[in-house]
Amino acid sequence: MGFNIIFNSTGIINFAQGEFSMFGGLFAYTLAVSLSLPLYLAVLLALVITALIGAFMERLLIFPLRRASVLVAIIATIGASIFYKSLGRILWPKEAYKVPEFTPGNISLPGATISRQSLWVFGLTVVSVTAVYLFLNHTRAGKALRACSVNRLAASLVGINVARMSLYSFILAATLGGVAGLANAPYASYSIGLFLGVKGFTAAVVGGLGNTFGAVTGGIFLGLLEELIPGFLTVVLGVSTGYKDAVAAVLLIAVLLSRPQGILGRGVVEKV
Amino acid sequence: MRHGRREMGEDAAAKGPRARAIEAFNLPLFLKRNALLIAFSAFIMVMPAWASPLSKPLGIPIILTMRLVGVYAIVAVGLNLLMGYAGQVSLGHGAFFGIGAYTSALLTARAGLPVWVGIPCAVLVALIFGVLLAPVLRLKGHYLAMATLAMGIVIFVFMREMTWLTGGNDGVRNIPDLALPFLKVTTTQGEFYYVWVIAIVALALCSNLVNSRVGRAMRALHQSEVAAEAMGVPVSSMKKRTFVLSAALGGLAGALFAHLQGFIDPNQFSILLSISLVTMVVIGGMESVWGSVFGAGLITFLPKLVEALPRWLGDVPDWLEKYSNYEGMVLGVIIMLTMVFMPSGITKGLVDLVRNRRSPFVNPFRRKAVD
Repeated sequence: MGFNIIFNSTGIINFAQGEFSMFGGLFAYTLAVSLSLPLYLAVLLALVITALIGAFMERLLIFPLRRASVLVAIIATIGASIFYKSLGRILWPKEAYKVPEFTPGNISLPGATISRQSLWVFGLTVVSVTAVYLFLNHTRAGKALRACSVNRLAASLVGINVARMSLYSFILAATLGGVAGLANAPYASYSIGLFLGVKGFTAAVVGGLGNTFGAVTGGIFLGLLEELIPGFLTVVLGVSTGYKDAVAAVLLIAVLLSRPQGILGRGVVEKV
Repeated sequence: MRHGRREMGEDAAAKGPRARAIEAFNLPLFLKRNALLIAFSAFIMVMPAWASPLSKPLGIPIILTMRLVGVYAIVAVGLNLLMGYAGQVSLGHGAFFGIGAYTSALLTARAGLPVWVGIPCAVLVALIFGVLLAPVLRLKGHYLAMATLAMGIVIFVFMREMTWLTGGNDGVRNIPDLALPFLKVTTTQGEFYYVWVIAIVALALCSNLVNSRVGRAMRALHQSEVAAEAMGVPVSSMKKRTFVLSAALGGLAGALFAHLQGFIDPNQFSILLSISLVTMVVIGGMESVWGSVFGAGLITFLPKLVEALPRWLGDVPDWLEKYSNYEGMVLGVIIMLTMVFMPSGITKGLVDLVRNRRSPFVNPFRRKAVD
């Protein structure tokens, strides 16, 4: 969803989106474990820091490039991603960190055991989707953001500060990325950035770029496929589960070639 | 070079379309058109003479690194044809590099074929993959970028998982050295010349191609596909041909890489490789054959420089001692600064400075009336 918000309002695909998740998870670790702050405070602070990183990135990198070509912008965000990643590697030299679970233990239901963490993940998703929905549809800033995504020039003509909206969208996207990193937190590590980025983009594309809530559907769909397909391959064909990493990529190519507007997106008529 | 082309154009117009083919060989004109190429070849040919004694005091194995620069220059130039001239982004070119490397490595190390058979086969296989994957060119802009990135990931995963063929993460070992039919190339210097002769031939081909009819067609479709199509450029097939050509160059470079290293594993051909290839092209300068060579040099030497820097400074604090960790940060900062202040690449910026007396820097923070 973060991808989509940035893409909508700035027309830029942010390859550093995955790194926001990395920062979210790792800052939460540092604050909670090393500084032994209470968990809720650590989580909140981690989100604020991630949002700040997003804001700085927009002002220093994206704003200057607002008139640049697609390729230049892509390369610049890749540069940011490389920078963040090695920064992460220096600050957190270990391979992986374990952030304490929000509430440890499992819940036993008849016939199934669910870890509380996965309930938290589910809950966080629901909460953040609802929050973004409310923000986009019921606040002035959210509506302005949507106006930018429809037509930036027209938005600026009716008095919306497009540059500021781009800043907001980066803050929002960074926060969402941070939430994603937190939800993934027991397995926080610096190397998750790029793969998470590709998966996030796939989810966004599958659901339809420019369709914020399509991304949620796309994400769920992708998550299911990623578990089902390798499982199927292993059981039926007896190949290794290592192919799992390719599922998102294959899906991305297939969707782009067959239904470029996404599964939920409406058709786009290109004018010459 | 630009001047020469115009003369040629007028000549051809005067004598009709066939005139170019029977144009008499004109030595001064030939020299003028290829001055840069000839100068660069001369520079490379004498390089071992002055660079070898320098390597030790600098702490950088220059010739050893230059072999790799040659390899990357080949693939970067191919990629620049696609990205810079034809305007089609590919974030998955490391895949072709890997395919070339694996083809030649498997043919020579497992099947026992000679190296000079393995390399052409690698080019052929990369070319076939290029043809098979060319349909992604139907996409544009971001979508093309992401689709090619995904393509790179898929091929990387297959290289890692098809253990019966590629050996998986263990890679392929004992790949024979570079060789000519009756000559084994064993010294570093020999390898240096081997790679650079091939690289210079590739550079010559590409720099002539971009100034030819095909090259103009490429640039035309970069500007506007519709206009190019209207002027009679077969847009879709031109894109595909450029893609296949750059895939083949990628395969060639990959094969050379495999024989230079003697050992390959899939992680050498991950997305990071594709990204650093794109970086070479963009940092060096799009739409510039020589920019790619420069970019390849910069990106290949950067880690060595970062590694050697603390040693030059002598006694350095402990946190600087481990400077090699900072390679990614330095690279990231260079990429971001170049994109923000010199979006047309470093070589283009320098050419601008010298030829037009214009500052190569742009001030991106200046506001304009319409943003």
